[in-house]
Amino acid sequence: MITEPNPSPVHSRKDLLDIESLSAEEINHLLETAKPFKELFTRSVKKVPALRGKTVLNLFFEPSTRTRASFEIAAKRLSADVTNLAVSQSSVVKGESVLDTVDTMQSMKVDYLVVRHGAAGIPNQIAKHSPASVINAGDGNHAHPTQALLDAFTIKEAMGDFSGRKILIAGDILHSRVARSVSICANKLGMEVGIFGPPTLIPHGHPDYFHTFNSFEHALEWEPEVIYLLRLQLERQSAHFFPSLREYHQVFGMTRERFELVSRKGIYIMHPGPVNRGVELTDEVLTYDRSLINRQVENGIAARMAVLYWLQPGIPSPTIEEKAET
Amino acid sequence: MKPMRRLFKQANIASQDNPMPAIADVLVDESGVIRDVSPDIPPSTDMKVLDCSNKILLPGLFDMHVHLREPGREDKETIETGTNAAINGGISGILAMPNTDPPIDSGGMVRFVRAMARDRSGIPVLTSGCITKGRAGKSLADLADMHTQGAVMITDDGSPVADPYLFRRALEYSRHFDIIVASHCEVPELSRGGAMNEGAQSYRLGLPGIPACSEEISIERDLRLAQCADARIHIQHISTARGLAIIRRFKEEGVRVTCEVTPHHLLFSDNDIQDYNTHLKMNPPLRSPEDNKALLDGLNEGLIDVIATDHAPHTRFEKELDFASSPFGITGLDTALISLFTHLINKGLIGWDCLVRRFASEPRRILQLEPADIVTGSTADFIVFDPNGRTHVNNSFIKSKSINTPYLGLELCGSVDMMVRGTEILLDRGGCRNEPLFSSKGGME
Repeated sequence: MITEPNPSPVHSRKDLLDIESLSAEEINHLLETAKPFKELFTRSVKKVPALRGKTVLNLFFEPSTRTRASFEIAAKRLSADVTNLAVSQSSVVKGESVLDTVDTMQSMKVDYLVVRHGAAGIPNQIAKHSPASVINAGDGNHAHPTQALLDAFTIKEAMGDFSGRKILIAGDILHSRVARSVSICANKLGMEVGIFGPPTLIPHGHPDYFHTFNSFEHALEWEPEVIYLLRLQLERQSAHFFPSLREYHQVFGMTRERFELVSRKGIYIMHPGPVNRGVELTDEVLTYDRSLINRQVENGIAARMAVLYWLQPGIPSPTIEEKAET
Repeated sequence: MKPMRRLFKQANIASQDNPMPAIADVLVDESGVIRDVSPDIPPSTDMKVLDCSNKILLPGLFDMHVHLREPGREDKETIETGTNAAINGGISGILAMPNTDPPIDSGGMVRFVRAMARDRSGIPVLTSGCITKGRAGKSLADLADMHTQGAVMITDDGSPVADPYLFRRALEYSRHFDIIVASHCEVPELSRGGAMNEGAQSYRLGLPGIPACSEEISIERDLRLAQCADARIHIQHISTARGLAIIRRFKEEGVRVTCEVTPHHLLFSDNDIQDYNTHLKMNPPLRSPEDNKALLDGLNEGLIDVIATDHAPHTRFEKELDFASSPFGITGLDTALISLFTHLINKGLIGWDCLVRRFASEPRRILQLEPADIVTGSTADFIVFDPNGRTHVNNSFIKSKSINTPYLGLELCGSVDMMVRGTEILLDRGGCRNEPLFSSKGGME
């Protein structure tokens, strides 16, 4: 029978804030841990008692249904008690800082804080402030580590291994926390990473290991085995990153013509969802047998269970106030 | 207390002419004037003798870029707390920036700041005035009034004068008053929304970037306009190697340009912003380590005229916001000298002459003020610095009303032990032994 995964020599951490601070060993450990959790989903009772008596608070400053639901189900399948809290980011305007909100939450003695916020670095700030384990569920353009873990899990499930395999990430690289976390994760796991998008959306100072291309066709000649399409925030058009959605789709999107080539080659397609049909991809992609998009959603729960199971609440580091006193 | 003569014995006197301080005694008479500077001044019974062996005497520093926040944001700083922070850090004169609320854009406002300073400050507080009314960049502020009331510089610091036509006219008009125009260089359309230097680190942290070209294009524009207007111009807080190269070119062409660098642009780079530390967020932002190197070279070469802090106090609440939302700026008055000592002088990267010239002599010369040299006949305006001391930068040390400094909680080398201005001792940490070196009868060692 499957119970909980065996304790591993990989030490646990207090927080999961980004992929960058994880070693390849830790990432692999989390992927291994997720596997038995996923097997659990085929059973009639999809629950283990690992986090019984623990409280998980989903603290979402940015609207989200999918990620929040995924964390909620993951926590419940580990028998934790879960509370969801949607906080308006504009509470800052009223003179309440995020740390004030966290202080209020802390009085409720939660063990895990799952945080999503529109500003980069908020989870780091909370982690320093709170004894609860903080899990970054997406912060501004910075990081989305559980997304990268579920993606890595999905790639491994589809292809068996990582080493030397090629992933092409396409779209708005500059503003994407998903692209940041997925590329770092893929690189740590030994994959080659290519990026493609309009030059306006390719960041200055991106890592040296990125392969870059001047056309989608050129990128396909590099023979990627996975194409990871990013969701385009439609408001980028008004900031002049590209002239029109029509042109974006034609030049930088997965058009029907490109998709025919991609499907002939049997290249896997991934997307963090939700998709913009006719912008980053054509409709046909969604019914493609090598589209991993639905698998990503399913694996999200197992990967997040692995993360919750691995982390250990602990002691926060000193705050500004304490530093000033010393 | 009755004024008395003070004899500073065996001091190492730093000047703008020698990298290493030279030992001498300094006698300050009862009227606060330096009576004698020579190797061995015999003490007498009517003198208070201070043992300054192993201490450094240097002219009081002058910081020509300070945000005092009064009026408007007295929760961040006041003229009183700001000048106390300056004294604490060895700075004996400051120039206030006009971006208060309301801004210092009229003779009346200049008069207010000067009057407040006379009442509340032990050191000279000069003020600048705005180039444009309300710092709005739309029309020129009344310069004659501000000048009459004592404004010594005009600047819209905090933002550039975006309209090149208006800036050209301001430069031309300033010539009539021989007042220096200082420029905060930035192209707002390029920097808008940015939180830190654009580059590998901003990508890593997922923060919106401010490209170096935003500052450099503006420096180029402003110097070309100053050249065209034949006006004096001062470029504030330069942060990039290319910006410095542009200044070099215009200096070589004979444009009357001076420029300043802050301690933080010399000592920190964007690589230091590891964990969204808002105490490393300022405008212009911290740039690359290569820029640090170029600025340090420029300082040693004399291409950079002035060190100034851009002291910018902010409340704890504001600096505890997320990095992108928190305001730009860090404090500098309390820590500028000890941080430069710790990271540059102590490591032999700059000499004491460079520090004295760039942080005491040149700012006073540019603003046409009396020098503060430690020479016979001038009014005493110097500090006693202990190079072997340590300063723990914590709440009890910091005299600014705000604590937004990257040094918070850290220990720095050196200690400002004493500040002497005329007959007054504005700061005395008790570092100098008061008892004479010799027996009370005046016998020699």
